[in-house]
Amino acid sequence: MKFSIQKDRLAAGIQDVLKAVSSRTTIPILTGIKIHASDEGITLTGSDSDISIESFIPSEEGEVLIATIEETGGVVLNARFFNEIVRKLPASTIEFETSSSFQTIIRSGHAEFSLNGQDADEYPHLPQIDDENVFKLPADLVKTLIRQTVFAVSTSETRPILTGVNWKIENGTLICTATDSHRLALRKTAAAGLPEGEYNVVIPGKSLTELSKILDDTNEPVEIVMTENQVLFRSKYVLFFSRLLDGNYPDTSRLIPDEHKTKIDLNTKEYLQAVDRASLLAREGRNNVIKMSSGDDGTVEISSNSPEIGKVTEQVNSLAAEGDELKISFSAKYMMDALKAIEGTEIEIQFTGAMRPFVIRPLHDDSTLQLILPVRTY
Amino acid sequence: MSNPWKEAEKRQPIVMRIIENSLLRDRVAHAYLLEGDPGTGKKETAMLFAKSLFCLEPEDEFMPCGACINCRRIEHGNHPDLHAIEPDGLSIKKEQIYYLQQEFIKTAVESVWKVYIVNQADKMTASAANSLLKFLEEPSANTVAFLLTEQSSRILPTILSRCQQLTFKPIDSDRLKQRLVEEEISIPMASLTSKLTNHLEEALEQSRDEWFALARSIVLKLYEGLKGGGLSAIVPLSEDFYSHFKEKQQVSLALDLFVLIHRDLLSIMTGEEHGLAFPDRLASFQQDALLLSAEKLADRMASILEAKRRLNSNMNQQLLMEQLLLKLQGGHAFV
Repeated sequence: MKFSIQKDRLAAGIQDVLKAVSSRTTIPILTGIKIHASDEGITLTGSDSDISIESFIPSEEGEVLIATIEETGGVVLNARFFNEIVRKLPASTIEFETSSSFQTIIRSGHAEFSLNGQDADEYPHLPQIDDENVFKLPADLVKTLIRQTVFAVSTSETRPILTGVNWKIENGTLICTATDSHRLALRKTAAAGLPEGEYNVVIPGKSLTELSKILDDTNEPVEIVMTENQVLFRSKYVLFFSRLLDGNYPDTSRLIPDEHKTKIDLNTKEYLQAVDRASLLAREGRNNVIKMSSGDDGTVEISSNSPEIGKVTEQVNSLAAEGDELKISFSAKYMMDALKAIEGTEIEIQFTGAMRPFVIRPLHDDSTLQLILPVRTY
Repeated sequence: MSNPWKEAEKRQPIVMRIIENSLLRDRVAHAYLLEGDPGTGKKETAMLFAKSLFCLEPEDEFMPCGACINCRRIEHGNHPDLHAIEPDGLSIKKEQIYYLQQEFIKTAVESVWKVYIVNQADKMTASAANSLLKFLEEPSANTVAFLLTEQSSRILPTILSRCQQLTFKPIDSDRLKQRLVEEEISIPMASLTSKLTNHLEEALEQSRDEWFALARSIVLKLYEGLKGGGLSAIVPLSEDFYSHFKEKQQVSLALDLFVLIHRDLLSIMTGEEHGLAFPDRLASFQQDALLLSAEKLADRMASILEAKRRLNSNMNQQLLMEQLLLKLQGGHAFV
């Protein structure tokens, strides 16, 4: 392998892939970054075996020459040293040359490093993308999908499958579901570009959080490929691979009640702020529990009582209320998470009783749904 | 280069046969317990098995080629779907098993198989063993566990019952001794190391180790000192002992040597003078054997083994040795 490359482009590529490199790994080769030079450009790969990030630097972009490849090939270099070295090299271009024993010489200006490398063939093999099963979604939509669901994944390991978000594609609709068995977040989209076929994967919550950090807030398309072992997201020059969770995601459709006894429409912001205030005192108590009760005059009372601290009550005007009167207790934290994830200035909450889960939706919008289980209080 | 599978087959014909058949008939169990004395090739076998599962071009459909990229990566510890766990310090901690669990709720990185090797599985803490049990009970498809141990009796019975056991036969120590003598190791040294390990390379290395030669003579001197009566005789000797055996493993080795001395005495007592660990001491041991009853000897061995057990449970090493020496010298009345 022999090539020269512009320093700033290489450094930017390393920053991308470095997010996937973990310092504590049992597999020695994963402490490194794989560098592969082909005729089209340079590919950098970092991985902690859960997620892998690949960054591609084309040899020329438009009319601008970024890299000159003299000899193709690959090598794995220690991520920490490689990153530091590249950042501190003096000149704006860097030359690389690898000998047969994976010794890599890095030259820039008058500085010359010789770094011991490892065999690139030993690096984990990422799935080959086969263009048939690719579908495209805009980057900002993918980010929204993640933001609206990932907070609800379980953090406990008793049911590992719940630590992931279920992505299910059926009849051209993508349904993302996350639940920790106390609450559930669901987001549907029927965006153009979704495939007809059926897919059903569970992506670890951590991977999605990482992914949304990498994606830009633009409507550039992201290509998505789901394989048996991994899911792949590809934006312009960055590829993001994640392993999937093994097992079947529970059927959550039956959890969502399809009828209701009480329905209350509220202004999202006002309600969120009221819940936030009530939670100030609830926080000290157990489980962040706050109470909500509907009155006859269309107002909703939110209250919280911690005997050792004090209590708070607040009236919130509802936009509309119908059905039975209701007294219900729930976790303020779950409610705030759900309200923050909902887009739209107005919401409707549908209750089926004080001991039954209730559903929060934006008004006149079916795509987002948040479900919360109430807390039993005495 | 000789084929490592064939080599292993020569040493452990039964075990390798079982593995071969399970591979050929596609009936790989989800957990194996590999049990056998040190040096019987448990780890090598587990690695060979793993290579067979991952190998791209197996010979005769089961023998790993040893040359393809997967075999090479397993050899270097770089295969992402193979996880090996070693005791972290004294025991295998719960976090290590937790790491495995994290790894195995996810799909494999590349292939369909996920393999984990737990070396010295008997060193798992109780909570680690119970965590492991949890996922031995609910094995996911295409996951294979190899638990390696020297003492299967120290594995939780609930784990034991969920594994297919592969028992590695100890290699005949006489044959090993002969091989060692052929390698120009002196007979006393060859007799001893062939008793301590089953592995030729290991035995050779030990036989040529100066530290080990000194260890042998210190332990023998200490034993002689014990016979000699008064406590005063032991004190200078035990000082040598502490400065030489510092690490826990070294003390453990010293205890092994003590056991072997007593085993020799017992052999001599029963008239079996062949295959001693210290053949050069035959004459002196014969004398000692005359002065001892079998019962007393058994008591002594029991206290050495007890000391060895306590060593693993973090006892102060010097106190442990002092207690043992007093016991060996004066019987139970002293302590």
